[in-house]
Amino acid sequence: MFSRMAPRGRSGLGRSLAELGLLLLAILVLLDGTVLSLEAATSSEIDTHEGKPGTHKNTSKKSFPVLGIKYDDVSVPFEISLWVLLASLMKLGFHLIPRLSNVVPESCLLISVGLLVGGILKLARDEVPPVLSDRIFFLCLLPPIILDAGYFLPIRPFVENIGTILMFAVVGTLWNAFFVGGLIYAVCQIAQDKYSEIDLSNIGILPCLLFGSIISAVDPVAVLAVFEEIHINELLHILVFGESLLNDAVTVVLYHLFEEFMESGSVSAVDAILGLVSFLIVALGGVLVGAFYGILAAFTSRFTSHTRVIEPLFVFLYSYMAYLSAEVFHLSGIMSLIACGAVMRPYVEANISHKSHTTIKYFLKMWSSVSETLIFIFLGVATVEGEHHWNWVFLTSTVVLCLVARVIGVVGLTYIINKFRIVKLTTKDQFIIAYGGLRGAIAFSLGFILHSEHKKIFLTAIITVIFFTVFVQGMTIKPLVELLAVKKKHEAKRSINEEIHTRFLDHLLTGIEDICGHYGHHHWKNKLNRFNKKYVKKILIAGDRSKEPQLIAFYHKLEMKNAIQMVESGGGSKLNSTFPSTVSMQNIQPKIHSPPSARPSERALPQLTKGREEEIRQILRTNLQKTRQRLQSYNRHTLVVDPDEEGFDDLILKKRRMMELDWKLKQMTNYLTVPRSQGSPTMSRARMASDSQAYVKPGAENVPTIKIDLASPQSPDSVRLLDEVVQDQGLTMSLPSSSSRAYKTSGKDDGRDQQKLLRCLSDPGPDVDDDEDYDDDEPVPT
Amino acid sequence: MNPEPEPEPRLNLCVIPVSAAVLLRLHQRFQFLDKDSRGHLRSEDLEAELSENPIGDRIVGAFFQPGQETVDFPSFVRVLAHFRPTEKNRTRDGVQPEPANSRNRKLKFAFQLYDQDRDGKISRTELLQVLREMLGLQVTEEQLQSIAERAIQEADLDRDDAICFDKFRKSLEKVDIDHKMSVRFLE
Repeated sequence: MFSRMAPRGRSGLGRSLAELGLLLLAILVLLDGTVLSLEAATSSEIDTHEGKPGTHKNTSKKSFPVLGIKYDDVSVPFEISLWVLLASLMKLGFHLIPRLSNVVPESCLLISVGLLVGGILKLARDEVPPVLSDRIFFLCLLPPIILDAGYFLPIRPFVENIGTILMFAVVGTLWNAFFVGGLIYAVCQIAQDKYSEIDLSNIGILPCLLFGSIISAVDPVAVLAVFEEIHINELLHILVFGESLLNDAVTVVLYHLFEEFMESGSVSAVDAILGLVSFLIVALGGVLVGAFYGILAAFTSRFTSHTRVIEPLFVFLYSYMAYLSAEVFHLSGIMSLIACGAVMRPYVEANISHKSHTTIKYFLKMWSSVSETLIFIFLGVATVEGEHHWNWVFLTSTVVLCLVARVIGVVGLTYIINKFRIVKLTTKDQFIIAYGGLRGAIAFSLGFILHSEHKKIFLTAIITVIFFTVFVQGMTIKPLVELLAVKKKHEAKRSINEEIHTRFLDHLLTGIEDICGHYGHHHWKNKLNRFNKKYVKKILIAGDRSKEPQLIAFYHKLEMKNAIQMVESGGGSKLNSTFPSTVSMQNIQPKIHSPPSARPSERALPQLTKGREEEIRQILRTNLQKTRQRLQSYNRHTLVVDPDEEGFDDLILKKRRMMELDWKLKQMTNYLTVPRSQGSPTMSRARMASDSQAYVKPGAENVPTIKIDLASPQSPDSVRLLDEVVQDQGLTMSLPSSSSRAYKTSGKDDGRDQQKLLRCLSDPGPDVDDDEDYDDDEPVPT
Repeated sequence: MNPEPEPEPRLNLCVIPVSAAVLLRLHQRFQFLDKDSRGHLRSEDLEAELSENPIGDRIVGAFFQPGQETVDFPSFVRVLAHFRPTEKNRTRDGVQPEPANSRNRKLKFAFQLYDQDRDGKISRTELLQVLREMLGLQVTEEQLQSIAERAIQEADLDRDDAICFDKFRKSLEKVDIDHKMSVRFLE
C-alpha cells in the first residue's frame, strides 16, 4: 500500500557501495601496513639521532621542518581506530548485500574478512600484530556484549526455565569437559602417528582435561550472533543463550582447577571437593557482586534528576566495575555483569529520563555490535598469525568428540529434565539445543593464555572446532530450522488485553496455589513482588513513581505511542499541538514542584501558547507524507522494527481513535495541569517513544471498517482539518485506501521537512517494541 | 473409564480425570480447609486463604455452583482439575469429552471468572470491575475508564462493546497457557 523503495534500484546502489567499501578496506589495510612500517623507520631514525648528541651542535642548522611525521605518539589510538573503522565498514558492507547475509551468517563473513586482513598483513609485513591478546578480549571486547545481553535479558522466560538452564550449563558443561578430555587422552595414547612431529602420547591426562574444559563451553558471543538471525522461539533462544552465559562459572572453575593441578602435579580427593566448593563460590559470588553493584546503580539513579546528562554513565560504570571486581577475586565476571544489568534495570528505568534511556540503549547496542564484529575479525587474524601444529588425528577426533559429547549430553539431560518440567522439551527442541552449542572466542582466548607445552596443538584444535561450529553449524542451522518447522518468534506487540489478562491469570494462579496449599512458582513470585513493592521500590525509585502500578505505566506508554503515530500520520488537530510543548517542558525542567495531590498525579497534557500551537499545526498540515522504511529482517543490531504487514486496518483504527481522542481532549481541557518537575519519565518517555520513521501497530485486523462521516458531531476543528487535508489531496475520505495512497504522493520535500520537524520534536529513539517485551515485567520474575 | 475407589461419596471419574495420588493430596487439603469437619466447605474457609488476593472473592465464587452455599469434595476437585498440567500426547477420539485441563477449558475457566453474569462475553462493566479490583486505590476512575475503553476497542470484533471468548483466547495466544495455568501440585 505504501511505496517501498524499489528493491532492484537498491541492490544496484548497494553493489557499487559494497565495492566502495571493499576499496576503502583495501586502502585502510595498506595504510595500516605502511604506517606501521613507517613507525619502524621513524623509530630507527630517532635512535641514530640520539646516538650522536655531541655532533649535533656542530652540524649546520637544519631548516625548519614544515612537514614531519611523528607516528609514535598516536600509534596506539590510531591503530585501534583503524581496526574499529574497519569493523564498522565491514558491517556496513554486509548489510548492503542482502542476498549474502541471508545465506551466510555474519559471523562467518567476519571471520573470513579477518582471515583476509590477516593474510594481507602477513604478506605486507611478514608478521601479524597479536591483536587478540587475552587482555584486550576479556577487558574491552567481551564486557559490552555481555552487558548488552544482561541488561536486555528477558527475565520472565529466563527465571521460568532457570532449572533447565542450570542443568545444561553446569552438568552439561561438566559432562562435556570430562568426556572430551578423557576420550581425547585415550585417542592420544592409542594414536601413534609416526609421521607427525608431535608425540601425542606425551600429552598427559591433566592437560587433556584442561583442554576439554576449555573447549566444552558454549560461547555466548557466537550463540548470539547466530541465533539472532534465525528468529527462533523464545524458549529455545533463552535455553541456549542462558546456558552459554551461566556456563562461564563452570569454565572458570574448571580452568583454574586444572591449571592448579597441572602446576602441583597431583590430585587428591580434597582438591576435588575444594573444586566443588570453589564452583559455588565463583557462581554465587559473581552474582552477589553483580547484584550489589546493581543496587548501587539503582540507588544512584534515584538522585540524578538534576543531572540527567550523566545518567547513562552511571549504568555503564557500575556494570563495568561489577565485572572488574568479580575478575579481581577470580569470580565469574560474566555472571556478575548479567546480575548487575538484570537487577538494576527495572529501577533505573523508572528513574532516568527518556533520553538517557535511549542513550543507554543505543550505546549498548553500538558497543556490543562493534565488539562482536571485532572479535570475529580478530579471530580470523589470529588464525593466520599463530603457528599451527596440524595433527589430523587430534583435530578430527576433537571435532567429532565435541559433537558426540554435546548430543549425548543434551539428550541425556533432557530425559532427566523432562521429568520436572511442566512443558516438556520435544525432540526438535533437543536437536536445536544440541546443534546450537557453538564455540567461540572465549575458548580461543582461554587457550591463548595457556602455559602448557602443548599450547600450539591445543590452539589449533580450538580454532578448528570454532571454525567448524561457526561455519558449518552456523550456516546450516537456518535451513534446518526451516526444514524442521521449529516454532518461530512471535513478532506481535503486546496488547493491553494481553497485559490485563496476564495479570489476572497471575492473581488467579496465586489464589489457586494458596487454596491447594502449594508453595509453587506463583506463590513465591507473589511474595517477591509484594516485598519489592513494599520496601525495595520505595528505596530505589524516586518520588511518586514508586507507587505506580505496572499496568498503568504500560497503558500510558501505549496510549502515547498511538497518539504520536496519529500525529505523524498527519491527522488530528489539537493533538498535534500538545507534543512540542512537552519537548520544551522537559528541557526547561521547571523548578516548581506541584503540591502532592491526594489523588495520584494527573497525567494530562499541558497547554501551549496559541501562537506556537498555530505554528505547529501549520507545519504539520503542510507535510503529510512520511517515508516508511521497511526493514528486511530484525537484527539485534537494528533498533527499529516494522512488524506489521497490513497497515490498512491500522489506518482505520488510527482514524477512529483520532476522532475519539479529539472528543476526549475537549473533555480533558478542564484537567490540564503543569507536569511535575521531574516530568514523569514514563509519560515523557512514552511521548517520545516514536521514531522519526513511524511504524504501524500490528494485529488490528479485527478493526471493522468505518465510514468517516464528516457530518457527525465531532469537534469542528478536527473536521475542518480533515477537510483541508481532503481538499489538498482532492480526494474523498470514504475510501481510506485511496486517501492513504494520497499521503504518499506528496512531494519528497515535504517528506524531508516532515522528517526534520519530527526529528526535532522527538528523539529518533529506539522502537519501544524492544522495550515492551521486557519493560513491562515486574521487577521480579513474572 | 473405570471408577477408582475413593473415600468420599462416589465420584463420577469420567468427569474428573485426576490420579489417585493427587486425589489423596486434595482430600487431605480439603480436610485441612474444612476446619469444623463438616464434610463441606463454606466460602469463609476458602476466603481465609485468599485474604490478600485482589480477585479472591471471584476465585472463591468459582467453586460454588450457582445458588449453593457449600462446596463438597467432588466440586472442589472438579474445579481444581482445570489446573492440572496438560498432557500433550493424549490422543482424543471425538467420543471422550474434552478433558478439564485442556487449554481451551483452562481459558474458559478464566473467562468465566471475568464474566460473572455468564452471558458469554466480558462487558465493559465487568472489565471495569476486574480492573478496579486489581488496581484498586492506586489509580483514578478516569484512568480505569480509559484502560477499559482501550481494551474493549482492541478486542471488540462485533462492536457490541464487549469481549467475546474467541477474542479473549486470541489475545492470550502468545502466552503459554499450558504452563501458566498449571499447578504442579496436581500432577
